[in-house]
Amino acid sequence: MSQTAAPRPEVVTETPPRRRSGWIERTTNADHKSVGTLYIGASLAFLVAALAELVVIRTQLIVPENTTTDPEIFNRIVSTFAVTGVILFAIPLALGLISYLSPLQVGSRGVAFPRLNLLSFWLFVSGGFVIFGSFLWRPSEAGFAAFPPLSEPLYSNTHGVDAWIVGTFLAVLGFVCFAVNLVVTLRTMRAPGMAWRRVPIFTWAANLCGYLLLICGPVMLAALTMLFIDRNFNGVFFDPGYQGAPLLYEHLAWFFFTGMFTFVVVFAAGVISDVLSAFARKPVFSQRAAMACLLAIAIMGPLAWMRNMYTAPIPTSFLVFAMLFAIALTIPIGLLIFNWIATLWGGALRTRAAALYALAAISALTIGLAGDLAWSLIPVGWQVLNTTAAQGATFAVMVGGAVLGGFAALHYWLPKMTGRRAGEGMGKAALVPILLGLYAYAAMSVLAGVKGQPVDIYKFFAGEGLDGYNLVASIGAFVLVVGVLIELGNLAYSYHRGVPSGHDPWEAGTLEWFATSPPPLHNFDVVPDVRSAEPLYDIRRAVRDREHSWRPPTPAEPEVREPEPEPEPVGPGDSGTAQGGAPVA
Amino acid sequence: MLPLALATLALALFAAPAGASVFGPRAGHSPNADDIRTAYWVAIIVGAILIVAVHAFLIAAVVRFRARRGRSARRFTAGARAFVRPVVPLVAVVVGLFVFGIVMMTKARDVQATGSEGLGADSSLLAQVGGLSIPPDSKALNINVVGQRWLWRFEYPGGRPGDRTFSYGQLTVPVDTTVLLHISSTDVTHRWFIPALGGQVDAIPGQDTTTWFSADRVGTYGGQSTSFSGTGYAVMRAWVHVVTPEQYQAFLKRKRAGLARAQADVVKALGESSATESGP
Repeated sequence: MSQTAAPRPEVVTETPPRRRSGWIERTTNADHKSVGTLYIGASLAFLVAALAELVVIRTQLIVPENTTTDPEIFNRIVSTFAVTGVILFAIPLALGLISYLSPLQVGSRGVAFPRLNLLSFWLFVSGGFVIFGSFLWRPSEAGFAAFPPLSEPLYSNTHGVDAWIVGTFLAVLGFVCFAVNLVVTLRTMRAPGMAWRRVPIFTWAANLCGYLLLICGPVMLAALTMLFIDRNFNGVFFDPGYQGAPLLYEHLAWFFFTGMFTFVVVFAAGVISDVLSAFARKPVFSQRAAMACLLAIAIMGPLAWMRNMYTAPIPTSFLVFAMLFAIALTIPIGLLIFNWIATLWGGALRTRAAALYALAAISALTIGLAGDLAWSLIPVGWQVLNTTAAQGATFAVMVGGAVLGGFAALHYWLPKMTGRRAGEGMGKAALVPILLGLYAYAAMSVLAGVKGQPVDIYKFFAGEGLDGYNLVASIGAFVLVVGVLIELGNLAYSYHRGVPSGHDPWEAGTLEWFATSPPPLHNFDVVPDVRSAEPLYDIRRAVRDREHSWRPPTPAEPEVREPEPEPEPVGPGDSGTAQGGAPVA
Repeated sequence: MLPLALATLALALFAAPAGASVFGPRAGHSPNADDIRTAYWVAIIVGAILIVAVHAFLIAAVVRFRARRGRSARRFTAGARAFVRPVVPLVAVVVGLFVFGIVMMTKARDVQATGSEGLGADSSLLAQVGGLSIPPDSKALNINVVGQRWLWRFEYPGGRPGDRTFSYGQLTVPVDTTVLLHISSTDVTHRWFIPALGGQVDAIPGQDTTTWFSADRVGTYGGQSTSFSGTGYAVMRAWVHVVTPEQYQAFLKRKRAGLARAQADVVKALGESSATESGP
């Protein structure tokens, strides 16, 4: 609190005048906030596509031996569903929030490579267009990850698989570009005093997500390149007829998908940590433990990729290696949940929609990850892998992490992005069908799966005791879809017409709320000094202390009035909104 | 509230004897399938306990520490020592499940010798294959299982290679006899899975995988491929008919005769057609 600190160079700007028309500005603005908004919007659009695919799949499977959908059409939907849900929705939604918020959270005025950031978005979107564009002709029918030999030209001789490969490749390439920018930004552009131990957990998770993409993304790119060479340039990487190894592609693809599964868990954990801490009005119980747990999850998660391949001819020692990591994940995940509960303990939890979505996300993640823990025993995996039981647990984690975690994040941070609150009542109302539908769908999938129903079949047979499970699973899926659509409508409505929220609606402790809502182009007029993991809490306290200790200047010495010294970055609370900062408490 | 209610319901259902048929796989009829079921029940109960524990604490925290008038948050944090207590049960769960998983995996792969009611006669001796540990001097029935879109082909022992007795879709084996399945594929990847007779095994072109079972009861057990293989994937089913050794021998004899007759017919037809073709 030294009043003699040298004045920091200060930038006071208004939003620069827009020279370009709206749409061009919208699509080519390389500001990280604009790119983040684009990512979020596009990912939510692809979420609607994923929901439509889910409805088609579950309509077909609502009764045994249904003939609503042609098997080939069904297989095309199945071959697109995982890519839509994971690569076109879950990851980009996380990336959008990360792009928007992480630089703000670390007190940065921008990102290291803004144009690379923008490029990453357009790569991802063109990937999505290629995949869905192939529906105009003939999309892939080679299954969710296009495993060879089925995806080799001998068995898939249309260009659908090529479109799938190119689309997935573009999207993943975009994510890798994004990760380069993200990792460099977070390494080099944090505010003074923002040591790693003080970085908000959301941004710590974002950092780990960046590394996950950097490590897992190129593996998938390599696999897709080899598959593309196999298909179009007479390659034999995966052709068993020429001693190629179909199993190699499975390893690479599963490494990527397991990494992305971990990505979603880590991202959701970051959101949950920030949201719970803000709404319980408490710092995270142990910041360092939460960070260490997330680091452990990010390392061990992808290393357990062979947990999905217990049935393949792999040496036993490798399978045991995968099982070790898959089971050991329980320790960091369990400690993380303990950390969350301890964060709630002794707090004053405001049960706003964001907090409820975060709690629901914990519930869904717990259920899904406990299921995954059970399936990760090798003998259990022999029974339930590739059945709807494994799919149900994965679905609970993905919906819990990306949908519930994503909605928690959007409810929490929409005021930051727009200056408006997402509708509380509608958000809470939508949570009920989402959660009920998810529980019903996941539970029924698991029960059908342990009875032996495989994934991705276009019909199941009557008389095998699967009718009831599938009926309830379908109804659950429909209820889930309705809930998600209600919440999407709520968010879309609130984006322009929500209740104005002011700059700092939740009184959270992290730095993004130091900027105005929405933030100006350069984020902060004054880059604050950070002295704890809750810099804004410190700033508010400093402002309060100063107000309390303030006395009217004595009239005896009015002539020694100095130009008002630039206070150290206590924030705009005392120097007014002229600085562009949010008025604080 | 809802998760707690669901969890209580789940526990109640577990306790009920009927719960087993709802929450678990159907009964196994082979020693390896039984081991898989044991592992399943232990793992799923551990998972359920973790789910219930997390939800109980979560709900308690939310109910007790909701914002109310006059309550302010106690802003405390903790160091590493606070994590000693929760880490102990977690490590115990992890170590326990890991060791248990290895033990059950090994047990399920331990091929058991053919029982007293089984087929003792014309079965062949087998060496160690595919991670399975086979008791010395054990006799086993070796069946080749070949996945092809969208059928399973079964080749029975006996006869010259390339001229084996075979069947499609339905496999007939004697009861209480160790059956070694040598699984491969002629086109894309398939996956062999008869839930009552053990776990899934990949059928990969260019590679042989092995599994075994020893059915304890006469009956028919169904299953289907669990590896996506294109249009007909959903109908790529298989049935295993478990019969007495005498019925098995009769089946083989009948099958061989039928195949020989069919072959003779084909040769005859071919001969006729070549005769007509080479005619004037």
